[in-house]
Amino acid sequence: MRWRFWRKADETKAQTARRMQPKDKRLIENFLPPEGVPITFRVASLGARFGAQLLDILLTVLFVVALLFLVSLADILSEEAIVAIFAILFFALRVPYYAATEILWNGQTLGKKIVKMRVISGDGRSLSAYQVTVRNLMKEMEVFVPGAYLLAAPAFSWQGRLLIFAWIMILLTVPLMNRRRQRLGDIIANTFVVEIPKPVLLPDLASKPEQPQSTYSFLPHHLDHYGRFELQTLETLLQANTTRMEARVAYRHKQTLAKVSKSIVQRIEFTDPIPKGEERGFLEAFYKTQRAYLENRKLFGDAREDKFHKEDM
Amino acid sequence: MSTTDTLIRSARFRKEREPGWVQLEKLVTTVEKQGVHALSFADAQDMAALYRQAMTSLSLAREISLDKGLLAYLEALCARAYLAVYAPQESLHGLVSRLFLRGFPQAVRRSTLPLIVGLLTMALGFLAGYLLFLDDQTWYNTMMPEGLAGGRGLGSSRDDLLDVIYSDQQITGSSLAAFASFLFSHNTQIAIFVFSLGVLICVPSFVLTFYNGMVLGTFFALHVDRGIGYDLFAWLSIHGVTEIGAIIVACSGGFVLGLAVLFPGEMTRRDALRHAGRDAVKLALLAAFMLIIAAILEGFFRQLVQDPVTRITIGWGMGAFWLLYWTLGGRGKEPER
Repeated sequence: MRWRFWRKADETKAQTARRMQPKDKRLIENFLPPEGVPITFRVASLGARFGAQLLDILLTVLFVVALLFLVSLADILSEEAIVAIFAILFFALRVPYYAATEILWNGQTLGKKIVKMRVISGDGRSLSAYQVTVRNLMKEMEVFVPGAYLLAAPAFSWQGRLLIFAWIMILLTVPLMNRRRQRLGDIIANTFVVEIPKPVLLPDLASKPEQPQSTYSFLPHHLDHYGRFELQTLETLLQANTTRMEARVAYRHKQTLAKVSKSIVQRIEFTDPIPKGEERGFLEAFYKTQRAYLENRKLFGDAREDKFHKEDM
Repeated sequence: MSTTDTLIRSARFRKEREPGWVQLEKLVTTVEKQGVHALSFADAQDMAALYRQAMTSLSLAREISLDKGLLAYLEALCARAYLAVYAPQESLHGLVSRLFLRGFPQAVRRSTLPLIVGLLTMALGFLAGYLLFLDDQTWYNTMMPEGLAGGRGLGSSRDDLLDVIYSDQQITGSSLAAFASFLFSHNTQIAIFVFSLGVLICVPSFVLTFYNGMVLGTFFALHVDRGIGYDLFAWLSIHGVTEIGAIIVACSGGFVLGLAVLFPGEMTRRDALRHAGRDAVKLALLAAFMLIIAAILEGFFRQLVQDPVTRITIGWGMGAFWLLYWTLGGRGKEPER
């Protein structure tokens, strides 16, 4: 009833609920490596990329300044020569630095290493030197030249400023217009920047040894109510790490478990008594049985997405 | 249905394969931290095999398991292992030598037509500038950018001009400065624009190259008018052959891009541009390399070498070197794209 307000005219309850489910728009799910099994990447946010770019500029400039300081301390070169070296180094710190680091460190510059993201090739193959060169050559037109003009903007006429503003606006809108958040150089080189995924292996709830006091018998009509979505929501709830919680939070978590088990019992019309404080054991037993049942149904071609699965048939 | 002690199918599936995943994760972490060289031969072999097993597991788990934690883990593990297994396994040294030994000359040979068109554009511009100057000397003021003329104009006498050509006041300390200033000079900018604006169906590249030729033509005509055409020729040759060559190469790179947009053939324009990009980028890098060589010649040799004959020899010797490099380099080897 709560979401009735959001419902479109010709939609069933199930369709509304599925549409309203929160979705991570930055997930790229159809990335296809040569093995032919699609894998998922999460596109790096523009904020993180901007931060990495700033870090890179900061680090390289710091490096040059430190080097110059050392050279001027050593006092072997004339002032003019130092200025010249400075100019040349600044040239080398633009495209060559980014291209070389991204080739050597598999799509990472120093800034990207710190922010934990990586350039990958959009075609599912390995990143080629050509792609890295192209995306960083374009960086010249997209970052450095407009950046330099922006710094020099006060010296320009208003038409000049307007032109720079328009240029920067166009550059900023390009990544917002596509799902992979590609800037122009990325589009031409067919690359995009992703967060480095972190694999965390949680224990399998279904292979946990059972406590003797929590043996419950479920019948098929108990298990026909829920689908994948509810099962995995329950899994998330049970996987929460209670040992690391504060006492207050742990108490609230326990209350949630009790509430959830109560509503499950009501819904599936389960009649066996559940001792107070034993809700976790009941939920774990229910999770395991429900999962086995749903997985079995799936094998027989009856994949149940969520509790509205009866409407699908 | 009752719960029993026997594991359900997906839990058994996981239990059988878990040690392999954990080992793969360990190997991938090593590769990420220390590079693939840190692995022993057996480990590297294992990583490839374990990666394929993990991929199969992922594909299977999506079908048979509803364990969200497991699926998330496998997704992340496979993505990470994919990045480790398909990392570019090339050394910088190998890349650079491949580029110079095969990439550059082959790209130039594939782009002979744009290169000739670029050369003709420049030559036509030169001719036009020269003839315009002969027609009316005030064209010089219209054509020549202030910064490029360096105080040399219609008012300069023959001796003023000769002074610039044969000045030896420069000492080694400032040849470095000359080198640096060259890199940021007018012609570098021209080369960048001529290349990158080529995408706009060649027109800006054509106009800019033509204009550059005109500037050169009027400048040359001024010196011929004062009777020192030969001296200027020698003065310009020493670095100019390489520098003008670089602009022409950059221009042909722009043309390659523009032609892909104009005549995409069987491909879509986007694909054609991507395809042409490979050669165009090589031409741009080659032009950048030639500009650096020209900067060295200008910074260090122009002041050291004062004799016109030697200047011409060095300059056109470099020209002959470039031609030989382009025509003979990387022949008989597999094409490098």
